[in-house]
Amino acid sequence: MLELSRVSVDYGGFTAVEQVDITVEEGELVVLLGSNGAGKSTIFNAISGLQKTSSGTILFEETPIQGAAPDKIVQSGIVQCAEDRKLFPQMTVRENLIMGAYIHRRKRKQVNRSLEEVLELFPILHEKRENAAGSLSGGQQQMLAIGRALMSKPKLMLLDEPSIGLAPLIVEQMFEVIQKINQDGTTVLLAEQNAFAALKIANRGYVFESGSIVVQGSSEELLANDTVRRAYIGA
Amino acid sequence: MDILTQQLFNGLTIGSVYSLVALGLTLVYGILHIPNFAHGALYMLGAYITLTLMLLWGVHYWIAMAVSVLVVGLLGVIMDRLVFHPLRNAPPIHDKIAAIGILLFLEAFAQLIWGADYRTMETPYGQVIDLFGMTATMQRVLINIGAIVVMILLFLFLKKTYIGSTIIAMAQNREGAHLVGINTNKVAMLTFMISGGLAAIAASLSAPINLVFPGMGHLVILKAFVIIILGGMGSVPGAILGGYILGFTESLGATYLSNDYKDIIAFLMLVVILSIKPKGLFSREGF
Repeated sequence: MLELSRVSVDYGGFTAVEQVDITVEEGELVVLLGSNGAGKSTIFNAISGLQKTSSGTILFEETPIQGAAPDKIVQSGIVQCAEDRKLFPQMTVRENLIMGAYIHRRKRKQVNRSLEEVLELFPILHEKRENAAGSLSGGQQQMLAIGRALMSKPKLMLLDEPSIGLAPLIVEQMFEVIQKINQDGTTVLLAEQNAFAALKIANRGYVFESGSIVVQGSSEELLANDTVRRAYIGA
Repeated sequence: MDILTQQLFNGLTIGSVYSLVALGLTLVYGILHIPNFAHGALYMLGAYITLTLMLLWGVHYWIAMAVSVLVVGLLGVIMDRLVFHPLRNAPPIHDKIAAIGILLFLEAFAQLIWGADYRTMETPYGQVIDLFGMTATMQRVLINIGAIVVMILLFLFLKKTYIGSTIIAMAQNREGAHLVGINTNKVAMLTFMISGGLAAIAASLSAPINLVFPGMGHLVILKAFVIIILGGMGSVPGAILGGYILGFTESLGATYLSNDYKDIIAFLMLVVILSIKPKGLFSREGF
Protein backbone atom coordinates (compact mmCIF):
# COMPACT_ATOMS: atom_id res chain seq x y z
CA MET A 1 0.00 0.00 0.00
CA LEU A 2 2.78 2.41 1.00
CA GLU A 3 6.26 1.97 -0.36
CA LEU A 4 9.23 4.19 0.42
CA SER A 5 12.35 3.39 -1.53
CA ARG A 6 15.72 4.99 -0.90
CA VAL A 7 14.14 8.12 0.59
CA SER A 8 16.51 10.81 1.89
CA VAL A 9 15.65 14.12 3.51
CA ASP A 10 18.16 16.95 3.98
CA TYR A 11 17.83 20.00 6.22
CA GLY A 12 20.34 22.42 4.76
CA GLY A 13 23.57 20.43 4.83
CA PHE A 14 22.36 17.94 7.43
CA THR A 15 20.91 14.61 6.33
CA ALA A 16 18.05 13.77 8.69
CA VAL A 17 16.95 10.64 6.87
CA GLU A 18 19.20 8.60 4.61
CA GLN A 19 18.23 5.98 2.02
CA VAL A 20 15.26 4.62 3.89
CA ASP A 21 13.12 1.74 2.56
CA ILE A 22 9.78 1.09 4.24
CA THR A 23 6.83 -0.94 3.03
CA VAL A 24 3.41 -1.11 4.61
CA GLU A 25 0.84 -3.60 3.33
CA GLU A 26 -2.88 -2.97 3.48
CA GLY A 27 -4.37 -3.80 6.89
CA GLU A 28 -1.03 -3.95 8.69
CA LEU A 29 0.06 -2.16 11.83
CA VAL A 30 3.73 -1.30 11.40
CA VAL A 31 5.84 0.41 14.02
CA LEU A 32 8.88 2.67 13.60
CA LEU A 33 11.07 2.52 16.70
CA GLY A 34 13.81 4.98 17.50
CA SER A 35 14.91 7.56 20.00
CA ASN A 36 14.37 11.31 19.72
CA GLY A 37 15.96 12.78 16.63
CA ALA A 38 16.28 9.41 14.89
CA GLY A 39 14.23 10.70 11.96
CA LYS A 40 10.80 9.20 12.57
CA SER A 41 8.92 12.51 12.45
CA THR A 42 10.91 13.60 9.41
CA ILE A 43 9.80 10.46 7.56
CA PHE A 44 6.19 11.13 8.52
CA ASN A 45 6.40 14.73 7.35
CA ALA A 46 7.95 13.58 4.09
CA ILE A 47 5.05 11.15 3.54
CA SER A 48 2.51 13.87 4.46
CA GLY A 49 4.10 16.36 2.06
CA LEU A 50 5.08 18.80 4.82
CA GLN A 51 8.77 18.11 4.19
CA LYS A 52 10.47 17.90 0.79
CA THR A 53 12.44 14.74 0.10
CA SER A 54 15.83 15.16 -1.51
CA SER A 55 15.83 11.79 -3.25
CA GLY A 56 13.93 8.51 -3.44
CA THR A 57 10.33 7.67 -4.23
CA ILE A 58 7.21 7.33 -2.13
CA LEU A 59 4.46 5.22 -3.69
CA PHE A 60 0.96 5.12 -2.25
CA GLU A 61 -1.31 2.57 -3.93
CA GLU A 62 1.19 2.44 -6.81
CA THR A 63 1.09 6.23 -7.36
CA PRO A 64 4.13 8.40 -6.61
CA ILE A 65 3.22 11.04 -4.01
CA GLN A 66 6.58 12.62 -3.17
CA GLY A 67 6.41 16.37 -3.77
CA ALA A 68 2.59 16.44 -3.76
CA ALA A 69 0.88 19.18 -1.71
CA PRO A 70 -0.20 18.19 1.82
CA ASP A 71 -3.91 18.65 1.06
CA LYS A 72 -3.66 16.36 -1.99
CA ILE A 73 -2.05 13.69 0.15
CA VAL A 74 -4.86 13.85 2.70
CA GLN A 75 -7.33 13.53 -0.17
CA SER A 76 -5.54 10.44 -1.43
CA GLY A 77 -6.18 8.78 1.95
CA ILE A 78 -3.12 9.34 4.14
CA VAL A 79 -3.62 11.28 7.34
CA GLN A 80 -1.03 12.15 9.95
CA CYS A 81 -1.64 12.52 13.62
CA ALA A 82 1.37 14.61 14.60
CA GLU A 83 3.50 14.31 17.72
CA ASP A 84 2.52 17.75 19.02
CA ARG A 85 -1.10 17.08 17.97
CA LYS A 86 -1.54 20.32 16.03
CA LEU A 87 -5.10 20.86 17.21
CA PHE A 88 -7.04 24.10 16.81
CA PRO A 89 -6.82 25.18 20.46
CA GLN A 90 -9.62 27.76 20.62
CA MET A 91 -12.09 25.65 18.68
CA THR A 92 -14.31 23.22 20.55
CA VAL A 93 -13.74 19.49 20.46
CA ARG A 94 -16.68 19.11 18.08
CA GLU A 95 -15.39 21.86 15.77
CA ASN A 96 -11.95 20.25 15.69
CA LEU A 97 -13.47 16.93 14.72
CA ILE A 98 -15.59 18.52 12.02
CA MET A 99 -12.53 20.27 10.59
CA GLY A 100 -10.95 16.81 10.46
CA ALA A 101 -13.57 15.84 7.89
CA TYR A 102 -12.70 18.86 5.73
CA ILE A 103 -12.03 16.77 2.63
CA HIS A 104 -15.54 15.27 2.94
CA ARG A 105 -17.17 18.66 3.59
CA ARG A 106 -19.73 18.24 0.81
CA LYS A 107 -21.00 14.96 2.30
CA ARG A 108 -22.81 16.35 5.35
CA LYS A 109 -24.46 13.06 6.29
CA GLN A 110 -21.19 11.15 6.19
CA VAL A 111 -19.51 13.83 8.32
CA ASN A 112 -22.23 13.54 10.96
CA ARG A 113 -22.00 9.75 10.94
CA SER A 114 -18.20 9.86 11.36
CA LEU A 115 -18.63 12.35 14.17
CA GLU A 116 -20.95 9.96 15.99
CA GLU A 117 -18.55 7.05 15.45
CA VAL A 118 -15.57 8.99 16.78
CA LEU A 119 -17.49 10.25 19.81
CA GLU A 120 -18.54 6.68 20.48
CA LEU A 121 -14.93 5.47 20.25
CA PHE A 122 -13.82 8.21 22.69
CA PRO A 123 -16.56 8.71 25.30
CA ILE A 124 -14.48 11.40 27.02
CA LEU A 125 -14.59 13.51 23.86
CA HIS A 126 -18.36 13.18 23.82
CA GLU A 127 -18.45 14.48 27.35
CA LYS A 128 -16.16 17.42 26.51
CA ARG A 129 -17.50 18.11 23.02
CA GLU A 130 -18.31 21.76 23.71
CA ASN A 131 -15.01 22.50 25.50
CA ALA A 132 -12.13 24.27 23.78
CA ALA A 133 -9.49 21.81 22.60
CA GLY A 134 -6.80 23.81 24.39
CA SER A 135 -8.51 23.21 27.73
CA LEU A 136 -8.22 19.41 27.55
CA SER A 137 -5.60 17.31 29.35
CA GLY A 138 -2.71 15.81 27.40
CA GLY A 139 -4.36 12.41 27.03
CA GLN A 140 -7.66 13.92 25.94
CA GLN A 141 -5.88 16.10 23.40
CA GLN A 142 -4.14 13.03 22.01
CA MET A 143 -7.48 11.26 21.68
CA LEU A 144 -8.90 14.31 19.96
CA ALA A 145 -5.95 14.34 17.56
CA ILE A 146 -6.56 10.68 16.71
CA GLY A 147 -10.29 11.33 16.45
CA ARG A 148 -9.74 14.27 14.14
CA ALA A 149 -7.50 12.13 11.95
CA LEU A 150 -10.16 9.40 11.81
CA MET A 151 -12.74 11.94 10.61
CA SER A 152 -11.02 12.05 7.23
CA LYS A 153 -11.73 8.31 6.82
CA PRO A 154 -8.10 7.54 6.03
CA LYS A 155 -6.83 4.38 4.35
CA LEU A 156 -3.49 4.88 6.07
CA MET A 157 -2.96 6.63 9.38
CA LEU A 158 0.45 7.90 10.45
CA LEU A 159 0.59 8.12 14.23
CA ASP A 160 3.56 10.00 15.63
CA GLU A 161 4.35 9.10 19.26
CA PRO A 162 0.80 8.99 20.57
CA SER A 163 1.98 7.88 24.01
CA ILE A 164 4.43 10.72 24.59
CA GLY A 165 4.00 12.47 27.92
CA LEU A 166 0.97 10.45 29.00
CA ALA A 167 0.30 8.59 32.24
CA PRO A 168 0.85 4.78 32.03
CA LEU A 169 -2.85 3.97 32.37
CA ILE A 170 -3.73 6.35 29.54
CA VAL A 171 -0.93 4.92 27.40
CA GLU A 172 -2.49 1.49 27.76
CA GLN A 173 -5.91 2.82 26.67
CA MET A 174 -4.26 4.60 23.77
CA PHE A 175 -2.70 1.41 22.44
CA GLU A 176 -6.00 -0.42 22.79
CA VAL A 177 -7.67 2.27 20.71
CA ILE A 178 -4.93 2.12 18.07
CA GLN A 179 -5.32 -1.63 17.85
CA LYS A 180 -9.07 -1.24 17.47
CA ILE A 181 -8.67 1.35 14.70
CA ASN A 182 -6.38 -1.06 12.89
CA GLN A 183 -8.77 -3.99 13.36
CA ASP A 184 -11.59 -1.84 11.96
CA GLY A 185 -9.68 -1.69 8.69
CA THR A 186 -7.34 1.32 8.81
CA THR A 187 -3.72 0.59 8.03
CA VAL A 188 -1.49 2.15 10.68
CA LEU A 189 2.11 3.29 10.63
CA LEU A 190 3.09 4.08 14.21
CA ALA A 191 6.22 5.88 15.43
CA GLU A 192 7.03 5.05 19.05
CA GLN A 193 9.68 5.03 21.73
CA ASN A 194 7.58 2.78 23.91
CA ALA A 195 8.85 -0.30 22.06
CA PHE A 196 7.33 -2.99 24.23
CA ALA A 197 3.76 -1.67 24.12
CA ALA A 198 4.01 -0.86 20.42
CA LEU A 199 5.43 -4.25 19.39
CA LYS A 200 2.71 -6.03 21.35
CA ILE A 201 0.07 -4.66 18.96
CA ALA A 202 2.16 -4.35 15.77
CA ASN A 203 2.69 -6.85 12.96
CA ARG A 204 6.14 -5.65 11.98
CA GLY A 205 8.65 -3.01 12.89
CA TYR A 206 11.65 -0.98 11.79
CA VAL A 207 14.31 0.36 14.13
CA PHE A 208 15.72 3.78 13.30
CA GLU A 209 19.08 5.11 14.38
CA SER A 210 20.42 8.48 13.23
CA GLY A 211 18.28 8.59 10.14
CA SER A 212 18.70 5.05 8.85
CA ILE A 213 17.04 1.70 9.47
CA VAL A 214 19.31 -0.59 11.48
CA VAL A 215 17.02 -3.54 12.24
CA GLN A 216 13.71 -4.69 10.81
CA GLY A 217 11.48 -7.71 11.22
CA SER A 218 8.27 -9.07 12.66
CA SER A 219 7.23 -8.03 16.15
CA GLU A 220 8.32 -11.39 17.58
CA GLU A 221 11.75 -11.10 15.98
CA LEU A 222 12.22 -7.56 17.25
CA LEU A 223 11.07 -8.44 20.76
CA ALA A 224 13.68 -11.19 20.77
CA ASN A 225 16.40 -9.05 19.21
CA ASP A 226 19.23 -8.17 21.59
CA THR A 227 19.86 -4.65 20.25
CA VAL A 228 16.17 -3.81 20.52
CA ARG A 229 15.91 -5.26 23.99
CA ARG A 230 18.94 -3.38 25.25
CA ALA A 231 18.08 -0.07 23.65
CA TYR A 232 14.32 0.14 24.08
CA ILE A 233 12.99 -2.36 26.52
CA GLY A 234 15.68 -2.22 29.12
CA ALA A 235 16.03 -5.97 29.62
CA MET B 1 -26.46 66.00 27.40
CA ASP B 2 -27.25 66.74 23.75
CA ILE B 3 -23.59 67.14 22.95
CA LEU B 4 -22.80 63.89 24.70
CA THR B 5 -25.30 61.77 22.72
CA GLN B 6 -24.24 63.51 19.54
CA GLN B 7 -20.61 62.71 20.26
CA LEU B 8 -21.38 59.12 21.23
CA PHE B 9 -23.12 58.72 17.88
CA ASN B 10 -20.11 60.23 16.13
CA GLY B 11 -17.84 57.87 18.03
CA LEU B 12 -19.95 54.94 16.92
CA THR B 13 -19.70 56.11 13.33
CA ILE B 14 -15.93 56.59 13.33
CA GLY B 15 -15.53 53.38 15.30
CA SER B 16 -17.50 51.44 12.68
CA VAL B 17 -15.11 52.53 9.97
CA TYR B 18 -12.05 51.79 12.11
CA SER B 19 -13.38 48.35 13.01
CA LEU B 20 -13.95 47.39 9.38
CA VAL B 21 -10.43 48.45 8.41
CA ALA B 22 -8.89 46.77 11.45
CA LEU B 23 -10.81 43.53 10.77
CA GLY B 24 -9.17 43.16 7.36
CA LEU B 25 -5.79 43.85 8.85
CA THR B 26 -6.22 41.41 11.73
CA LEU B 27 -7.48 38.58 9.48
CA VAL B 28 -4.39 38.74 7.29
CA TYR B 29 -2.14 39.06 10.31
CA GLY B 30 -3.88 36.14 12.01
CA ILE B 31 -3.24 33.62 9.27
CA LEU B 32 -0.03 34.83 7.65
CA HIS B 33 1.59 36.99 10.34
CA ILE B 34 2.08 39.74 7.78
CA PRO B 35 1.57 43.29 9.06
CA ASN B 36 0.04 44.50 5.81
CA PHE B 37 0.94 48.19 5.65
CA ALA B 38 -0.47 48.23 2.11
CA HIS B 39 -3.94 47.78 3.63
CA GLY B 40 -4.19 51.59 3.86
CA ALA B 41 -3.62 51.83 0.12
CA LEU B 42 -6.37 49.28 -0.51
CA TYR B 43 -8.66 51.49 1.58
CA MET B 44 -7.72 54.52 -0.51
CA LEU B 45 -8.24 52.66 -3.79
CA GLY B 46 -11.62 51.45 -2.57
CA ALA B 47 -12.76 55.06 -2.22
CA TYR B 48 -11.31 56.11 -5.59
CA ILE B 49 -12.90 53.24 -7.49
CA THR B 50 -16.33 53.94 -6.03
CA LEU B 51 -15.91 57.66 -6.70
CA THR B 52 -14.73 57.17 -10.28
CA LEU B 53 -17.57 54.82 -11.16
CA MET B 54 -20.07 57.32 -9.77
CA LEU B 55 -18.54 60.35 -11.51
CA LEU B 56 -17.62 58.86 -14.87
CA TRP B 57 -20.53 56.55 -15.57
CA GLY B 58 -23.07 57.78 -13.10
CA VAL B 59 -23.23 54.33 -11.51
CA HIS B 60 -25.44 54.16 -8.43
CA TYR B 61 -23.65 54.41 -5.07
CA TRP B 62 -24.37 50.84 -3.97
CA ILE B 63 -23.44 49.28 -7.30
CA ALA B 64 -20.25 51.34 -7.42
CA MET B 65 -19.44 50.12 -3.93
CA ALA B 66 -20.05 46.49 -4.89
CA VAL B 67 -17.73 46.78 -7.90
CA SER B 68 -15.14 48.47 -5.71
CA VAL B 69 -15.32 45.61 -3.18
CA LEU B 70 -14.71 43.09 -5.95
CA VAL B 71 -11.87 45.01 -7.58
CA VAL B 72 -10.05 45.75 -4.33
CA GLY B 73 -10.62 42.17 -3.14
CA LEU B 74 -9.02 40.90 -6.34
CA LEU B 75 -6.20 43.36 -5.91
CA GLY B 76 -5.62 41.85 -2.47
CA VAL B 77 -5.42 38.39 -4.04
CA ILE B 78 -2.99 39.61 -6.70
CA MET B 79 -0.88 41.20 -3.97
CA ASP B 80 -0.73 37.85 -2.19
CA ARG B 81 0.17 35.84 -5.29
CA LEU B 82 2.63 38.32 -6.72
CA VAL B 83 4.39 39.49 -3.57
CA PHE B 84 3.58 37.74 -0.32
CA HIS B 85 3.29 34.16 -1.57
CA PRO B 86 6.81 34.04 -3.01
CA LEU B 87 8.06 35.46 0.31
CA ARG B 88 6.35 32.84 2.44
CA ASN B 89 9.58 31.19 3.53
CA ALA B 90 11.61 34.38 3.69
CA PRO B 91 12.50 36.10 6.98
CA PRO B 92 9.56 38.16 8.36
CA ILE B 93 11.25 41.50 7.70
CA HIS B 94 10.90 40.88 3.95
CA ASP B 95 7.10 40.88 4.21
CA LYS B 96 7.18 44.19 6.04
CA ILE B 97 9.46 45.82 3.50
CA ALA B 98 7.39 44.43 0.64
CA ALA B 99 4.17 45.71 2.24
CA ILE B 100 5.59 49.21 2.55
CA GLY B 101 6.78 48.97 -1.06
CA ILE B 102 3.27 48.10 -2.23
CA LEU B 103 1.85 50.97 -0.20
CA LEU B 104 4.20 53.49 -1.82
CA PHE B 105 3.60 52.04 -5.27
CA LEU B 106 -0.19 52.14 -5.00
CA GLU B 107 -0.17 55.69 -3.66
CA ALA B 108 2.03 56.92 -6.47
CA PHE B 109 -0.21 55.05 -8.89
CA ALA B 110 -3.31 56.77 -7.50
CA GLN B 111 -1.62 60.14 -7.75
CA LEU B 112 -0.71 59.44 -11.38
CA ILE B 113 -4.26 58.53 -12.35
CA TRP B 114 -6.40 60.75 -10.17
CA GLY B 115 -3.99 63.54 -9.23
CA ALA B 116 -3.20 64.81 -5.77
CA ASP B 117 -6.39 66.89 -5.35
CA TYR B 118 -8.82 66.40 -2.53
CA ARG B 119 -12.16 65.24 -3.89
CA THR B 120 -15.58 64.91 -2.39
CA MET B 121 -17.93 62.02 -2.92
CA GLU B 122 -21.60 62.89 -3.33
CA THR B 123 -23.96 60.50 -1.66
CA PRO B 124 -27.61 59.89 -2.45
CA TYR B 125 -28.11 59.83 1.31
CA GLY B 126 -27.07 63.38 2.17
CA GLN B 127 -30.35 64.42 3.80
CA VAL B 128 -30.34 65.39 7.43
CA ILE B 129 -32.65 63.40 9.63
CA ASP B 130 -33.80 63.60 13.18
CA LEU B 131 -32.76 60.56 15.14
CA PHE B 132 -34.01 60.28 18.74
CA GLY B 133 -33.56 64.01 19.18
CA MET B 134 -30.19 64.29 17.47
CA THR B 135 -29.52 65.50 13.99
CA ALA B 136 -27.48 63.28 11.73
CA THR B 137 -27.07 62.80 8.04
CA MET B 138 -28.56 59.67 6.57
CA GLN B 139 -25.04 58.70 5.42
CA ARG B 140 -23.80 58.50 9.01
CA VAL B 141 -26.68 56.25 9.93
CA LEU B 142 -25.84 54.11 6.91
CA ILE B 143 -22.21 53.77 7.99
CA ASN B 144 -23.32 52.37 11.32
CA ILE B 145 -25.90 49.99 9.93
CA GLY B 146 -23.64 48.94 7.05
CA ALA B 147 -20.71 48.17 9.32
CA ILE B 148 -22.80 46.13 11.72
CA VAL B 149 -24.41 44.14 8.91
CA VAL B 150 -21.00 43.42 7.39
CA MET B 151 -19.60 42.33 10.75
CA ILE B 152 -22.51 39.99 11.39
CA LEU B 153 -22.14 38.48 7.93
CA LEU B 154 -18.41 38.04 8.46
CA PHE B 155 -19.00 36.42 11.82
CA LEU B 156 -21.54 33.98 10.38
CA PHE B 157 -19.19 33.20 7.51
CA LEU B 158 -16.26 32.48 9.82
CA LYS B 159 -18.22 30.50 12.38
CA LYS B 160 -20.93 28.74 10.44
CA THR B 161 -19.46 27.77 7.08
CA TYR B 162 -16.82 25.15 6.38
CA ILE B 163 -14.91 27.43 4.09
CA GLY B 164 -14.95 30.28 6.63
CA SER B 165 -13.75 28.04 9.45
CA THR B 166 -10.67 27.17 7.40
CA ILE B 167 -9.53 30.75 8.02
CA ILE B 168 -9.94 30.30 11.77
CA ALA B 169 -8.31 26.87 11.64
CA MET B 170 -5.32 28.21 9.76
CA ALA B 171 -4.98 31.11 12.20
CA GLN B 172 -4.95 28.73 15.15
CA ASN B 173 -2.61 26.11 13.73
CA ARG B 174 -1.26 26.33 10.23
CA GLU B 175 0.29 22.87 10.15
CA GLY B 176 -2.86 21.43 11.69
CA ALA B 177 -4.74 22.95 8.77
CA HIS B 178 -2.37 21.18 6.37
CA LEU B 179 -2.92 17.89 8.19
CA VAL B 180 -6.72 17.95 7.80
CA GLY B 181 -6.31 18.59 4.08
CA ILE B 182 -6.90 22.34 3.87
CA ASN B 183 -5.16 24.03 0.94
CA THR B 184 -3.55 26.89 2.83
CA ASN B 185 -2.69 28.82 -0.34
CA LYS B 186 -6.37 29.04 -1.19
CA VAL B 187 -7.19 30.13 2.36
CA ALA B 188 -4.55 32.85 2.09
CA MET B 189 -6.08 34.12 -1.16
CA LEU B 190 -9.57 34.04 0.32
CA THR B 191 -8.37 36.00 3.33
CA PHE B 192 -6.73 38.68 1.20
CA MET B 193 -9.93 38.88 -0.86
CA ILE B 194 -12.05 39.45 2.26
CA SER B 195 -9.52 41.84 3.71
CA GLY B 196 -9.48 43.98 0.55
CA GLY B 197 -13.27 43.85 0.34
CA LEU B 198 -13.61 45.08 3.93
CA ALA B 199 -11.24 47.98 3.22
CA ALA B 200 -13.27 48.94 0.15
CA ILE B 201 -16.56 48.84 2.09
CA ALA B 202 -15.10 50.95 4.90
CA ALA B 203 -13.69 53.51 2.45
CA SER B 204 -16.83 53.71 0.30
CA LEU B 205 -19.05 54.12 3.34
CA SER B 206 -16.92 56.80 4.96
CA ALA B 207 -15.76 58.73 1.86
CA PRO B 208 -18.90 60.92 1.71
CA ILE B 209 -18.22 62.26 5.21
CA ASN B 210 -14.48 62.59 4.61
CA LEU B 211 -12.40 63.53 1.58
CA VAL B 212 -10.83 61.33 -1.07
CA PHE B 213 -7.12 61.83 -1.75
CA PRO B 214 -4.05 59.61 -2.34
CA GLY B 215 -2.84 59.86 1.25
CA MET B 216 -6.25 59.23 2.85
CA GLY B 217 -5.18 55.78 4.02
CA HIS B 218 -2.22 56.92 6.13
CA LEU B 219 -3.87 57.91 9.34
CA VAL B 220 -6.52 55.21 9.03
CA ILE B 221 -4.00 52.40 8.66
CA LEU B 222 -1.86 53.69 11.53
CA LYS B 223 -4.93 53.76 13.72
CA ALA B 224 -5.95 50.31 12.51
CA PHE B 225 -2.56 49.07 13.68
CA VAL B 226 -3.14 50.72 17.05
CA ILE B 227 -6.51 48.95 17.19
CA ILE B 228 -5.21 45.48 16.44
CA ILE B 229 -2.33 45.91 18.84
CA LEU B 230 -4.87 47.03 21.46
CA GLY B 231 -7.22 44.18 20.64
CA GLY B 232 -4.51 41.54 20.28
CA MET B 233 -2.91 40.86 16.90
CA GLY B 234 -5.07 38.42 14.96
CA SER B 235 -8.11 38.65 17.23
CA VAL B 236 -11.42 39.30 15.46
CA PRO B 237 -13.45 40.43 18.49
CA GLY B 238 -10.43 42.48 19.55
CA ALA B 239 -10.44 44.36 16.24
CA ILE B 240 -14.15 45.16 16.51
CA LEU B 241 -14.00 46.25 20.12
CA GLY B 242 -10.74 48.09 19.67
CA GLY B 243 -12.22 50.00 16.73
CA TYR B 244 -15.18 51.18 18.75
CA ILE B 245 -13.05 52.01 21.79
CA LEU B 246 -10.85 54.20 19.62
CA GLY B 247 -13.86 55.78 17.90
CA PHE B 248 -15.48 56.75 21.19
CA THR B 249 -12.24 57.97 22.75
CA GLU B 250 -11.52 60.15 19.76
CA SER B 251 -14.92 61.75 19.49
CA LEU B 252 -15.24 62.34 23.22
CA GLY B 253 -11.66 63.60 23.40
CA ALA B 254 -12.30 65.97 20.51
CA THR B 255 -15.27 67.48 22.35
CA TYR B 256 -14.08 67.60 25.91
CA LEU B 257 -10.33 68.02 25.45
CA SER B 258 -9.47 69.59 22.15
CA ASN B 259 -10.28 68.87 18.53
CA ASP B 260 -6.66 69.51 17.61
CA TYR B 261 -5.43 66.63 19.73
CA LYS B 262 -7.97 64.14 18.30
CA ASP B 263 -5.39 62.11 16.39
CA ILE B 264 -2.87 62.03 19.20
CA ILE B 265 -5.36 60.31 21.49
CA ALA B 266 -5.09 57.03 19.58
CA PHE B 267 -1.35 56.86 19.96
CA LEU B 268 -1.43 57.99 23.57
CA MET B 269 -3.87 55.19 24.27
CA LEU B 270 -1.51 52.75 22.56
CA VAL B 271 1.35 53.76 24.84
CA VAL B 272 -0.80 53.49 27.97
CA ILE B 273 -2.39 50.14 27.13
CA LEU B 274 0.85 48.57 26.01
CA SER B 275 2.51 49.63 29.26
CA ILE B 276 -0.25 47.96 31.25
CA LYS B 277 -1.10 44.98 29.01
CA PRO B 278 1.78 44.38 26.61
CA LYS B 279 -0.02 41.58 24.78
CA GLY B 280 -3.12 43.64 24.05
CA LEU B 281 -6.56 43.45 25.57
CA PHE B 282 -7.61 40.19 23.93
CA SER B 283 -4.40 38.43 23.04
CA ARG B 284 -5.75 35.87 20.58
CA GLU B 285 -8.44 34.47 22.85
CA GLY B 286 -11.55 33.21 21.15
CA PHE B 287 -10.70 34.15 17.57
